[in-house]
Amino acid sequence: MVSLRVVRFVLAAVPFAMLTVAIPFVNRIEPRVGGLPLLLFWIALWVATTPVFLGIVYRLESRR
Amino acid sequence: MSAPVIALAIAGVVVLATIATALLAVRRLPSDPTQLVVGGRSLGAVLLWILLAGEVYTSFTFLGAAGWAYSYGAPAFYILAYGTCGYILGYFLLPAIRRAGAEGGFLTGPDYFAGTYGSNGLGMLVALVQAALVIPYVTLQLTGLQIIIRDAGYGRVEGTVAASIAFIVIAAFVFTAGLRGTAWASLVKDALVLVAVLFAGIAIPTRFFGSPAGLFTHLLAAHRAMLTIPGGAAPHGMNWFISTVLLSAIGFYTGPHSIAAAYAARSDDALRRNAIYLPVYQLVLLLMFFAGFSALLLAPGLHGPAADQSFLLVVRTYYPAWIMGIVAGAGALAALLPASALLLAAGSVVTKNLIPQYFARLGDATRQTAAIRGAILGIAVLALILWLTAKTTLVELLLVYYAGMTQLAPGLILGALRMRTDATAIACGILAGLAGAIYWSLPGRAPWGVNGGFAALALNLAVIALVTTARARRGRGGLS
Repeated sequence: MVSLRVVRFVLAAVPFAMLTVAIPFVNRIEPRVGGLPLLLFWIALWVATTPVFLGIVYRLESRR
Repeated sequence: MSAPVIALAIAGVVVLATIATALLAVRRLPSDPTQLVVGGRSLGAVLLWILLAGEVYTSFTFLGAAGWAYSYGAPAFYILAYGTCGYILGYFLLPAIRRAGAEGGFLTGPDYFAGTYGSNGLGMLVALVQAALVIPYVTLQLTGLQIIIRDAGYGRVEGTVAASIAFIVIAAFVFTAGLRGTAWASLVKDALVLVAVLFAGIAIPTRFFGSPAGLFTHLLAAHRAMLTIPGGAAPHGMNWFISTVLLSAIGFYTGPHSIAAAYAARSDDALRRNAIYLPVYQLVLLLMFFAGFSALLLAPGLHGPAADQSFLLVVRTYYPAWIMGIVAGAGALAALLPASALLLAAGSVVTKNLIPQYFARLGDATRQTAAIRGAILGIAVLALILWLTAKTTLVELLLVYYAGMTQLAPGLILGALRMRTDATAIACGILAGLAGAIYWSLPGRAPWGVNGGFAALALNLAVIALVTTARARRGRGGLS
């Protein structure tokens, strides 16, 4: 079984990776979302959803 | 009354009222070093939130994010990305720093290094780095303050005298009230900055372009290339973007004030909960990009540091003086309070770690507190004198501030992970990293277009790995 430690690490790594190494793949203007160019929307999206990922990490930790 | 008088008067009242509120909120003034420097290690969720978010709501954010969007376009988005990456790292790192601080009775960043690696020499090196780098940071805040005062005076006030007075007031404030005072004042400051940012990022685009989405329609028609990396004006390619986000996130907690904030927390849980939600707070930076882009369309043609004034110029041109006054007051606080947090941290670093024998010999808490207070004033005066005599050259040093301060990150993180290394390796890494940071600070020098500080960090880690293995091998062959 995958240990809880690994799950927590992966959960935290997802938004981190989306805001760093994934950027070259979304460095575009179209499609625009809510008027924003894709690049800016993508960054804002992952900033806004990071609390969800860290929140799950926190829950898993406190259940221990 | 004329517009500059109204705007300057309102800005002045905003700053003074904030300080007065904070002094009332603190109630008991600190009388021992722990109270003064880390708020008695008892800060709850709200004040801790404000301290940890402090970096986000500085004048760099307020003017810089808009200015960067105005000048460079998409590369400015790194400012939004790095804070979030910093909070992700902080979720894991800050509780470890807090625990080490509480167990070892640490007050300062250098205490952490000296305690974790068992070396006062390493502590002194870190103290030297932090103290030296704080001064350019503070002087930059003073320059930001002067820009704001000039704009609030509608160009009719030069601003040097007013900025100096405001700085002396804030230094006296942090001298008196310590960390809790800074935290309370920052609470008021953040509320004001939030109002100003909502205004700048929503009201301005809505008035001139129908909505923020409409702003982008206009922007794409006029400056399409700016909205993807590398953007405009200066080379900031993809490697630069990613390496800068990584560098700034890794270095997010190496400033003396950030480490003090971690010590100030009441519990690990308070730090974790804060790290979870702080990215949301950071989203307001998006609005500062809107403000900067609006200014690009409304007041084009500003270059270099003048671009930082872009959105203030829009406010000044199109809105009444009282709005300019409130925005300027919020901006002035955004320059002054982060500077005060750094003065406080630097004061404790200098007294406790640069001259440790002297600090220990002082003995009782009252005299130690007085010594830290004296150092705060000393550093404030030094920063002010340097600012008055050598403004322009010091501003360029800010690039070295971030690149240099981040060289402390390996020691901080490896210590928290309890990795096998030692004081000598960490010290060699810091020195190599600093040399690299200075050498690569000029644009175009670093390989593959990465951020110079990132290249320096890589060198730092390589030196740590090398020295650690070399010493371990020699250790095996020798006595141990």
